Amino acid sequence: MSALLQIEDLRVTFNTRYGPVTALDSVSLSVNAGETLGVVGESGCGKSITALSVMGLIPSPPGKIAGGAIRLAGEDLTQASEARMRALRGAEMAMIFQEPMTSLNPVFTVGDQIAEAIMLHQKVSADQAFRDAVALLDRVGIPSPDRRARDYPHQLSGGMRQRVMIAMAVSCRPKVLIADEPTTALDVTVQAQIFDLLNEIQRDFGAAIILITHDMGAISEMADRVAVMYAGRVIEQGRADDVLDLPQHPYTRGLISCIPALGKGEDTLREIPGVVPPLHMLGAGCAFADRCAYRAPRCDSEKPQLQAHGHHPVACHAVEEGRI
Amino acid sequence: MTTLLDVRDLTVQFALPRQGFFGPRPVLEAVRQVSFSLEQGRALGIVGESGSGKTTTAMATIRLVEAAGGKVMFQGEDLLQLDDEAMRQRRRDVQLIFQDPYSSLNPRARVADIVREPMDLMEIGTPEERRARVTELFRLVGLRPDQLNLFPHQFSGGQRQRISIARALTTNPKLLVCDEPVSALDVAIQAQILNLLARLKAELGLSYLFISHDLGVVRHVCDDVAVMYLGKIVEMAPRDALFDAPQHPYTQALLSAAPSLARRKSRGYVRPVKISGDPPSPINPPKGCAFADRCPKAQEVCRKVQPVLEPHGPSRVACHFPG
Amino acid sequence: MTEATTFKAESPAREAWRMFRRNIPAVAGVIMLTGIVLATLWGTFFYDGNPYEIVWAPHEPPGVTPEFPLGTDYLGRDIFAGLIAGGGPTLAVGAAAAAITMVIGVSLGALAGFYGGWVDNLLMRITEFFQVLPTLLFAMVLVTLFSPTLFTIAMAIGVVSWPQTARLTRAEVMKIKELEYVTAARAIGARNRRIIWTVILPNAAPPLIVSATLTIGVAILFEAGLSFLGLGDPNTMSWGLMIGSNRAYILDAWWPVTFPGLAIFLTVFSVSLIGDGLNDAFNPKLRER
Repeated sequence: MSALLQIEDLRVTFNTRYGPVTALDSVSLSVNAGETLGVVGESGCGKSITALSVMGLIPSPPGKIAGGAIRLAGEDLTQASEARMRALRGAEMAMIFQEPMTSLNPVFTVGDQIAEAIMLHQKVSADQAFRDAVALLDRVGIPSPDRRARDYPHQLSGGMRQRVMIAMAVSCRPKVLIADEPTTALDVTVQAQIFDLLNEIQRDFGAAIILITHDMGAISEMADRVAVMYAGRVIEQGRADDVLDLPQHPYTRGLISCIPALGKGEDTLREIPGVVPPLHMLGAGCAFADRCAYRAPRCDSEKPQLQAHGHHPVACHAVEEGRI
Repeated sequence: MTTLLDVRDLTVQFALPRQGFFGPRPVLEAVRQVSFSLEQGRALGIVGESGSGKTTTAMATIRLVEAAGGKVMFQGEDLLQLDDEAMRQRRRDVQLIFQDPYSSLNPRARVADIVREPMDLMEIGTPEERRARVTELFRLVGLRPDQLNLFPHQFSGGQRQRISIARALTTNPKLLVCDEPVSALDVAIQAQILNLLARLKAELGLSYLFISHDLGVVRHVCDDVAVMYLGKIVEMAPRDALFDAPQHPYTQALLSAAPSLARRKSRGYVRPVKISGDPPSPINPPKGCAFADRCPKAQEVCRKVQPVLEPHGPSRVACHFPG
Repeated sequence: MTEATTFKAESPAREAWRMFRRNIPAVAGVIMLTGIVLATLWGTFFYDGNPYEIVWAPHEPPGVTPEFPLGTDYLGRDIFAGLIAGGGPTLAVGAAAAAITMVIGVSLGALAGFYGGWVDNLLMRITEFFQVLPTLLFAMVLVTLFSPTLFTIAMAIGVVSWPQTARLTRAEVMKIKELEYVTAARAIGARNRRIIWTVILPNAAPPLIVSATLTIGVAILFEAGLSFLGLGDPNTMSWGLMIGSNRAYILDAWWPVTFPGLAIFLTVFSVSLIGDGLNDAFNPKLRER
């Protein structure tokens, strides 16, 4: 069975003042209807670029899709015209951003903005669209939706605004919902509410969700499958249980063990030394080699490829050679 | 153990813009009669969500925000009563680490000057001694002496936070206020900074007033924890007591809302304590318990009578129905 | 444990310079202005003409007599010599007026922005008072009250044009004083004066530098305007004075007015190009392009 959304060998380059850099390198991901794929990594690992590529929102120039394919229900989005992408965005796939204040237009009421999104893709009257917008606000758990629909974004709290964004995103029942760090700007109790809401919406609409986050805890609570990204590549991928319980790549292991946990109070956290290398300084070898305890000469000369090992695919020479 | 810091009934008010031309000036009480104390060499964590007043509490404690009332006894002396020059001199003992390593360092100054500046201001040591101290501090926080003459923007977020820590340590302070020191950093870098802070506390005998929204971070660094909600402390307890047996329903909700690797979607995890809505407005705080509207246990009395912080086992809780 | 240095970046000033260098109009502005300044400074070594002396018949058109390439004015004075001699005073008045504008505007703006409250209220009311006065009229009054010398003209221009700079400085200072590194300076015990001078103003510098360059252009135009109205210093040759004294004969002879006008245009244009270039160079949003 082929997946609902399938990214194959995607390669995205950006022109910078350091010359062209590869922001995404042979990234392959897939997500099925009703499933949540978590994409996790530190800032600059390419997780947001992946989301923007799917939506066809890579700023171009300087960005460019240099290879690979993104198939939504079989249709290759990298070959689609801009008009076709506009028709798909919002209708077949939608995106929720990190900062709900800046992604809502401050001079229109939230009800009008949702109604506008509906009318872009469906032939309904303005009145009907507004009534649908109110119903959606009710659906995402906003109290007294009739009144709130007439509010402007600044009159709502951060959590409410994110609910409005979700209502707008699901207004046309998209098949794929991409959530890019949807709760980073929110408090934990509100984050919990948003996560619960996303799960409910998935149950009701059967959408595929791609959750982009830096938080392993969020992955654990939300994702069925996980892809760990580092410096523009997927370095480990698999079922959430497998990756979280039996991480293979030294980076994934580091990420999991450096989280200060709620349950236990050990004295020293495991740390990953150093920082993510900037993309224009990537060499021929593994991008993680500088920070890795299992570094060998081969790691500096040859990029490890993602290949099945044990439970799930991982891109690491040390794992492949049985040194870990 | 000696008490380093003893805060009593600290209150902070902000005046809001007038309503209408002749209307009264509404007052927002960001911190409402908060009391806590901190022993030498220990770390007190203040946890809460945005708007809880945790940062304002810390800033008012070291007089970077003006307090409307209360006492801040630091080594037996009330900081709120000091005149400006005396407070300026006192600053060598109380230092601060900010949340945002990008905006807390002057972008136009070289990092060696940034770290040396407190000594210049306090007129500590000769120029050579100051230079030597800067180099020593750089090593202490894990930076290289050859980076001394760079500008802040040439460092990564984690390195900048190390610079900020070095600057705070320059005058050998006794109390370090850490305002969300790792929340702007990637997880892998967070661990580096948290380990550094833990090491410095042990090696230098520092005391921390540690502000964070992240319970995991607080659990890792702090000995005692205070939970704030709408300008008040609702629960205060030694670390293990708070995390193992939270007494206040809000603390319980916070703990169950924090994402954790132990909770797995694949194993059918459903959140046990769900709370809805947002905190009430601090301009018009409710008469009774501020959490009553969101609390699963709320009764009539909660909406009428404000609970006070009272001992309950090893903890102190402000709730009519703790446990 | 130590993080590797991620990249060797430049200091903010170097980075701005790199951006500036790539901005072709701005570099053209620098070359043009340098040429104009050099011509007015050393022009007399290569072209010895007395701008005040009557040397030929009046209204000799340009290009007819090789000794007077740009022709002569209504009294028969050499226009090219006038351009060279008048450039220095024109530029000097522009620069001096801009300096006065910056000194008054930046000090008052910084005080108002930093202290806020009644200080801000008082200073802003004063600023508004100066802002609502019609600037040219006010400058004319000042120049007529005191005798019209280059110094009083520069003072007059400075006194009428500082309010804008004050407002800009105030806005920048208010923005920057909320940033954490200012709180950080307070937390380590820095006094207010030190915070304003060593922390806030250096960080507010980029828009102020841009504003200063643009003020030079405005001041040159202002001086020309005063001279045109006959309020310039009659004893010192300047481009504005040349236009002012020849304006009555413009229908008979276009050149005595056009060449100094062109010189003013080129100077203000090159200064504006430089100002725009600085603006772009200091704008971090454009840097990554």
